Amino acid sequence: MTIEALGQVNVTESPTAGSRSVDCFEKLEQIGEGTYGQVYMAKEIETGEVVALKKIRMDNEREGFPITAIREIKILKKLHHENVIKLKEIVTSDGPEKDEQGRPGKSSIHGNKYKGGIYMVFEYMDHDLTGLADRPGMRFTVPQIKCYMRQLLTGLHYCHVNQVLHRDIKGSNLLIDNEGNVKLADFGLARSFSNDQNANLTNRVITLWYRPPELLLGTTKYGPAVDMWSVGCIFAELLQGKPIFPGKDEPEQLNKIYELCGAPDEVNWPGVSKIPYYNKFKPTRQMKRRLREVFRHFDRHALELLEKMLTLDPAQRITAKDALDAEYFWTDPLPCDPKSLPKYESSHEFQTKKKRQQRQNEEMAKRQKMQHPRLPPIQQPGQHAQMRSGPNQTIHSQPQVAAGPTHHYGKPRGRGAPYGSNNMSGGGPRGSGSSGGGYGVGAPNYPQQGGPYGGSTAGRGSNMMGGNRNQQQYGWQQ
Amino acid sequence: MAANFWTSSHYKHLLDQEDVDMVNPLDKEKGITLEDFKLIKMHMANYILKLAQQVKVRQRVVATAVTYMRRVYTKKSMTEYDPRLVAPTCLYLASKAEESTVQARLLVFYIKKLYADDKYRYEIKDILEMEMKVLEALNYYLVVYHPYRSLSPLLQDAGLNDLNMTQLTWGLVNDTYKMDLILVHPPHLIALACIYIASVLREKDTTAWFEELRVDMNVVKNISMEILDFYESNRMFTEERINAALQKLTLRP
Repeated sequence: MTIEALGQVNVTESPTAGSRSVDCFEKLEQIGEGTYGQVYMAKEIETGEVVALKKIRMDNEREGFPITAIREIKILKKLHHENVIKLKEIVTSDGPEKDEQGRPGKSSIHGNKYKGGIYMVFEYMDHDLTGLADRPGMRFTVPQIKCYMRQLLTGLHYCHVNQVLHRDIKGSNLLIDNEGNVKLADFGLARSFSNDQNANLTNRVITLWYRPPELLLGTTKYGPAVDMWSVGCIFAELLQGKPIFPGKDEPEQLNKIYELCGAPDEVNWPGVSKIPYYNKFKPTRQMKRRLREVFRHFDRHALELLEKMLTLDPAQRITAKDALDAEYFWTDPLPCDPKSLPKYESSHEFQTKKKRQQRQNEEMAKRQKMQHPRLPPIQQPGQHAQMRSGPNQTIHSQPQVAAGPTHHYGKPRGRGAPYGSNNMSGGGPRGSGSSGGGYGVGAPNYPQQGGPYGGSTAGRGSNMMGGNRNQQQYGWQQ
Repeated sequence: MAANFWTSSHYKHLLDQEDVDMVNPLDKEKGITLEDFKLIKMHMANYILKLAQQVKVRQRVVATAVTYMRRVYTKKSMTEYDPRLVAPTCLYLASKAEESTVQARLLVFYIKKLYADDKYRYEIKDILEMEMKVLEALNYYLVVYHPYRSLSPLLQDAGLNDLNMTQLTWGLVNDTYKMDLILVHPPHLIALACIYIASVLREKDTTAWFEELRVDMNVVKNISMEILDFYESNRMFTEERINAALQKLTLRP
């Protein structure tokens, strides 16, 4: 492995005549959207190569080139691995660009010619894990899940040995191409860490559903274990067919974790009582760990590995390296060869949301005809797709805009719940009495608080960071 | 993936001294000599340090900023990229890259405080615009590895990690940024050269320790010589000579 060797030297590439212009590419289709900027699928005119263009918005920046983009570029330039997205180059657009409505762009602030826009050029990937899993009828096979998990862990292990924390591992940031390759993407929240873990880092990272207990409890000294918790959440989600901790705010998130993993105490997590919010969120009743019980229908080796990933105490949580050695990956059925996986039509969460919305609209029209506005959605094959997305826009006239802001290449940070409460209400899979408990077949009596999609779910992937971006960038020692 | 440092693409991209010492043709036309070129870069390294002390950022930020500045001038001319703007811009960019952000307006404030001279006076918009140009010149490579990191483990290994030696070597490393060493040599060799000089100065016998290291002692000694040469000629770098060199840049050809 690379590790020490990489980056021991100060590199300068061969001299260039500055960045190329974005005009070298033809934009084909928008595949993502966020506060960071839009993401497009584009074709390099000269070579015909398809790439992804992630726009870095400059127009709101009082402090020049955004530090979030600096972080991402810095880290991506350092990482070279088959399971990490490749930043091919950075291109600029000189002229004032036309915005989406076709109005000419604002004249650049400070007369800076680069204000037209800066784009990061990535290799194009056909899917992200969430988009792929949300396809109607999609069922992953066990060798397929093992194959994806192993690649995810390999990529993450590489990041960790190179002292990079990803800090936003979730399905929509895991890209998959039609060769079955998985790549980690969106390093906009990533940062380097040193092994002594003495630096104070912000705990306002990682999308809520995938955020580990130590961050929810307010710790500011943490390490690679935070990413491993997220991996555990994704692993369970792949096996279960839906997110396992869909909290709508931080207290609820912790509660969901405690319900499954038990409440932390000095026995299972030495030192936990010194973490800032430990007392604030101390449960009033006893909460036992019931992970094995809830997921007893999982394969034995899968459950064993999941147990180690969803360990409350970060110090005892399994590392990426050890996870790769787990029995799970070395017992039948073995992980399949990525190339043997079926090829799917392109799917990104941004797009599947769009398609889903179309389906919903059709369904809504149908239902209105039948005058059953509250009728549960028609079950489609592969019901987990239903379960996870809760397509139930029956009573809202406001369409769920395809703002699906969690696409890997660019997604909102620092916005509360971009499609907040109008997302999940009315009808819904639970209302239909489809699988009863929140954790499905394995746990009919599993306690629930408002149900996995009840009320105003913040939506998958909303980062819940609050505040504005500038505050996040400059206010914290990240 | 490179198996080790010596086969990594990074190693191959370190610059040769000749490339670093290439005075841009545009600057040459204005009569800038290699001597002037080095002098201006040294002066700008000092300028970055002075500014950094005002805005209070870590030494690491200074080191990164100076490296950026030196990298810029391996590709760009001083005629087009005024060093008096590039220097504070590099500090501004380095402060972001090293996670100790400094606001542009603060930099502008201290620039005015440090230099009354109009030629140093730049506004926020100038810095922000130059930031993009610097990023391009750096080809967005922002990660810099410094000798500081290897210094303390090396000292410890050599059994020289007392306060006196630590301070002396640290100071020597600081001074290496007044030269182009960081563009030419791997950081751990620069650290070793500083340890070598310090051990000679303090009369510590490190011969056996150096022999056990698998490094090319010739390179370490060459770096050491370069540092000593710099100290030797340091007193010749007078304010007048620096101003004269900078003056040439403002002349019309």
